[in-house]
Amino acid sequence: MRSFWPIFKRELFAFFVTPLAWVLILVFVVVQGMHFFVLVDHFANTENIAGDETPLSAFFGNTVLHYMVLFMLVPPMTMRLFAEERRSGTIETLMTAPVSSAAVVLAKYAAALATYCAMWLPTVLYLVILARADPGGRLDTHVAASAYLGVLLVGAGYLAIGLCASALTKSQFLAMVFTALVLLAFFIMGVGEFVTRDGTTMHAVCGYLSVWSHMNDFASGLVDSRRLVFYGTMIALPLFVATRAVDSWRWG
Amino acid sequence: MIRVSHLTKRYGAHTAVDDVSFEVGAGEVVGFLGPNGAGKSTTLRILAGFLGASAGTVTIAGHDVRVDSLEARRCVGYMPESVPLYPEMRVAEYLRFRAELKGVPRARRSAHVDDALRRAGVVDVANKTIGHLSKGYRQRVGLADALVAKPPIVVLDEPTAGLDPNQIRETRALVRELGREHTVLLSTHILSEVEACATRVLLMHKGKLLAEGATERIRAMRRPTAVDVTIHGDLSAAAAVLRGVDGVARVDPVASAADDRRERLRVTFGVAGAASEDADVEALATERCVAALVANGVGVREVRAADGSLEDVFAALTLDGGAAVPTAGGTESE
Repeated sequence: MRSFWPIFKRELFAFFVTPLAWVLILVFVVVQGMHFFVLVDHFANTENIAGDETPLSAFFGNTVLHYMVLFMLVPPMTMRLFAEERRSGTIETLMTAPVSSAAVVLAKYAAALATYCAMWLPTVLYLVILARADPGGRLDTHVAASAYLGVLLVGAGYLAIGLCASALTKSQFLAMVFTALVLLAFFIMGVGEFVTRDGTTMHAVCGYLSVWSHMNDFASGLVDSRRLVFYGTMIALPLFVATRAVDSWRWG
Repeated sequence: MIRVSHLTKRYGAHTAVDDVSFEVGAGEVVGFLGPNGAGKSTTLRILAGFLGASAGTVTIAGHDVRVDSLEARRCVGYMPESVPLYPEMRVAEYLRFRAELKGVPRARRSAHVDDALRRAGVVDVANKTIGHLSKGYRQRVGLADALVAKPPIVVLDEPTAGLDPNQIRETRALVRELGREHTVLLSTHILSEVEACATRVLLMHKGKLLAEGATERIRAMRRPTAVDVTIHGDLSAAAAVLRGVDGVARVDPVASAADDRRERLRVTFGVAGAASEDADVEALATERCVAALVANGVGVREVRAADGSLEDVFAALTLDGGAAVPTAGGTESE
């Protein structure tokens, strides 16, 4: 695990020295800014707001924008992690250094996750703005913390899937498409919650998988252990598969 | 330092490395020689821990590459054939990263990087972005990477591929110098390269280790056993004259499409394919050939030693294993 740090640092470097990370962050901040503006505008001009709806919960889960942004950002962030190294051959110098497969996978994953967190960092400003706009200072910090936990977990799960896809193919493009398809499948299952009839098995399955209802829970301050287990699995399983994939190249 | 026994690597039905066994002692510079596709790179990749073997064992400085992979990899500085580098990093930055990755302690990291930069001759591009470097410099950065952790064993896969003649000379000098401190194993398909750098040669062909021996033995084998004679006059008459000369085994016409008026014959001395121990035998026979041709009124325009190619060496080795130390693979293929 001693090799974790150098790889982590190099991956972060690779993210931020290329324009890709900056373009992604720019797109993300612009979209989230517009999103926030529309929401605040909406809440400011609506006379009677439905009881439990707050700008916070709306921002973090109740609009499709939130998920669209994740679909667009996660695949390009993770596609290059392994596919690029295998295409260019640098994987050969990397894996002939005394590094374990697990350290390589975790370091690359941690770097992607750190970049993801850096992307969300500017949105903390919105909370500051909301808190200032409300003279009563009624911004619920616990709900905000829970919402960010949700954002972190969803992103962590998606990034793990993306990393796994990148380890499974030499082509960055295929890794991107595959990641996007899996994320889309999860999202569509979530939509299924609204179109299936209450009480059916399909409804229960869709409800369990629905990122939409997960984020709604987190954004209203509800941290459910089922969600934690779900995302724990969604992180651990792809990372495990990726580690085995890295090991398997040796025998290809 | 390196012990390989019965190493086999199969890709599906294709056997890339077939039951190869050899040893490399400390301080040796060993050249891995063979045509492209002989299985050299695959063998080196297994030594470096990048590929797994289908069968057989590899021990690096006492560590089995399968069981004790990390320790084995720690002992090897490996430069892959394509010299893959991260194009977005600067040279010194890259070497610092590699040194840290290979577990060089923080306190000694700068000294190691400086040393590697100096030895590989890349001090003047230390602050350049790797993506902007020429092929020659990239190759040397790869070398610096192999040296940066000061490993006891250095494995170089085709270190001079794609370099210009000056750079090739410099790289060979560097490899010879490395031999003083490291055990070096390098691969190449160029015979003269092995002669220039290595003290011992391993010959590989179609996945099998044909033979191994000191470089001098290989050099002796390369000595031409045939000359090409360009004559002016009747070709068949000249061939008849040459066949009568003592020491000539065969005379064959050599097709020269470029110029019909220049007639060329290949004269092979001694026993076909085998190199004799005494160099003078061929030289004296050549003299006799020319004298006989001139005496018979045939104009001799050119006498040139036929190139002793890698194929000739292979032919010599497979036909006459006594010239070098034959291995199990070599005798089987006879």
